[in-house]
Amino acid sequence: MMHSLTKTTRIVIALLVTALMFFPVYWMLITSFKTPAELRLAVPTFWPEKLMWENFIDAFDTVPFYRFTVNTIIQTVGIVVLQINIGIMAAYAFAKGSFAGRDKWFLLVLAALIVPEQVIFVPVYVMMSKLHWINTYYALIIPHAASAYGIFLLRQTFRSINNDVIEAAKVDGANRMQVLYRILTPMALPTVATMVVISFIHSWNSYFWPLIMTNSNQMRVLTVGIAMMRDSIAGNEALNMHLLMAASVVVILPIVIVFIFAQKYIVAAMASSTFK
Amino acid sequence: MKVMDSRPVGTQQEAIRKSKRSRFRKLEALKDFSFALPALILLLVFIYYPMLNSFYLSFTNWNMTKPIKKFIGFDNYVYLFTSDTFYNVLRITFTYMILDVSITLVLGLLLALLFNSTSRFFNFLRTFIFMPHYISMVIVSMIFLWIFNGQYGLLNELLKLFGMEPVQWLTNPRTALWVLVVVSVWKGVGFTMIIFIAGLRSIPIEYYEASGLDGATKWTQLWHITLPLLSPTTLFLVITHFISSMQVFQSVDIMTNGGPLESTKAMVYWIYEMAFTEFKTGRASALVVIFFIIIILLTMLQMFISRKTVHYEG
Repeated sequence: MMHSLTKTTRIVIALLVTALMFFPVYWMLITSFKTPAELRLAVPTFWPEKLMWENFIDAFDTVPFYRFTVNTIIQTVGIVVLQINIGIMAAYAFAKGSFAGRDKWFLLVLAALIVPEQVIFVPVYVMMSKLHWINTYYALIIPHAASAYGIFLLRQTFRSINNDVIEAAKVDGANRMQVLYRILTPMALPTVATMVVISFIHSWNSYFWPLIMTNSNQMRVLTVGIAMMRDSIAGNEALNMHLLMAASVVVILPIVIVFIFAQKYIVAAMASSTFK
Repeated sequence: MKVMDSRPVGTQQEAIRKSKRSRFRKLEALKDFSFALPALILLLVFIYYPMLNSFYLSFTNWNMTKPIKKFIGFDNYVYLFTSDTFYNVLRITFTYMILDVSITLVLGLLLALLFNSTSRFFNFLRTFIFMPHYISMVIVSMIFLWIFNGQYGLLNELLKLFGMEPVQWLTNPRTALWVLVVVSVWKGVGFTMIIFIAGLRSIPIEYYEASGLDGATKWTQLWHITLPLLSPTTLFLVITHFISSMQVFQSVDIMTNGGPLESTKAMVYWIYEMAFTEFKTGRASALVVIFFIIIILLTMLQMFISRKTVHYEG
């Protein structure tokens, strides 16, 4: 009896806490459906009087959102594809290759994890402007094409794969590329998937880098674009918050979808981050 | 004689075979290395070179918009160490870090104790707790900008309903930093909870059973078993969180722009301002170097502690 009572209390508290934690996301969602008049009611409404689907269209009209979305997709896909492939190759070399100073080179990769992007952005900006790469996809993608963390994760997985598998494939006449892409990568698929998820979320959400590397509307990504939108309504928030929230919903939608369908890999990513 | 002859010939062949094999090995090693090369080149060009370059720039008077780049020794550092803004920025950054880390960790631990259950229901609820971790800080800032809005924000509407005076959260120098802390805690607490739960699950159940037989209450178990055995996890979280907390930028840039009255001017925001609105590249680089040294010290502390705890467990 006592036991079941505490169990119920625990469930109730857990539900309340969850509701409280989820509330800001819910608030964004319902604000995005409200009218400007409803935003300013003295007693806030917790369900919109009328679902204003038009807000989503209006939000896209205030700033070049389609362009921002395309830019974000190109940036994200570019970074994910490069990070995975460059990561797989490097991880193979560090896990199964034999060359002089292999582990010292790997230490160089690991040490890169310590360097935050704030430490390198000024010289990289200078480099990019000398190359005339400011406001190009190159500046958004190339500096992030190698992920030290991804190489570390993949190397761990490749190391756990028995060498006999590789030898057998080589006897059958497979070259390195074939061994790597036809045998090792499929065996390491959960790690690769985890890496795709981390890399996707990271590039989709990135803000500091695209803020610095772009300055034209044509090249802005969603995160920077929405910050611009916020600046343009500064002082008039109460009249425009529904549009800003509608835009926000659109920006986080892909993340929520990834979150729902790839949760297994997100949890794996979290667990592995303890060993970072 | 024949036997004597065959020997040198044999070693000769052996030597040829060996050199062939070693040439083959060298080629194989080269091929292996070539697989690591793209990553190494990228890291050298985009991490290590810029890192050293930042260091070099910190000793120059370079202004990004002008071609003059003169070596001026420690002048930038002297400027920083003698300016009031520097100490103000340090104070703000560390206040933010300490508030952010301590609140996130305490709440994260409480959440971990509450949500540490293998049932599917709790697993489902946990999803909502750590979801904010994956939402862009830009969007999180937008949401809280609205909730903390001075005029029509939800928080002030609620305060008014309860007959209290509304607060200008983001334009009041006394509350603005707190808003940034709330935002960071909301975003980070779920991740902290997950790591704490992993730590809780690694504590052997026998400890609880044995102390239960000895008549220990839940409360004494928490103080004498859970918390001490959780300390490696806690230390890991404290330091990694300190490092990420120190890099606070997005929420400042979107919610306060360092204001009001510079009350939220954290270190990275100041670096950004110096580099891209004042174009004082040299001076900004000096601040970058100081920032990086603090990060390296924290990282070394973490390595030192984790090595120690491994010994402790072993």
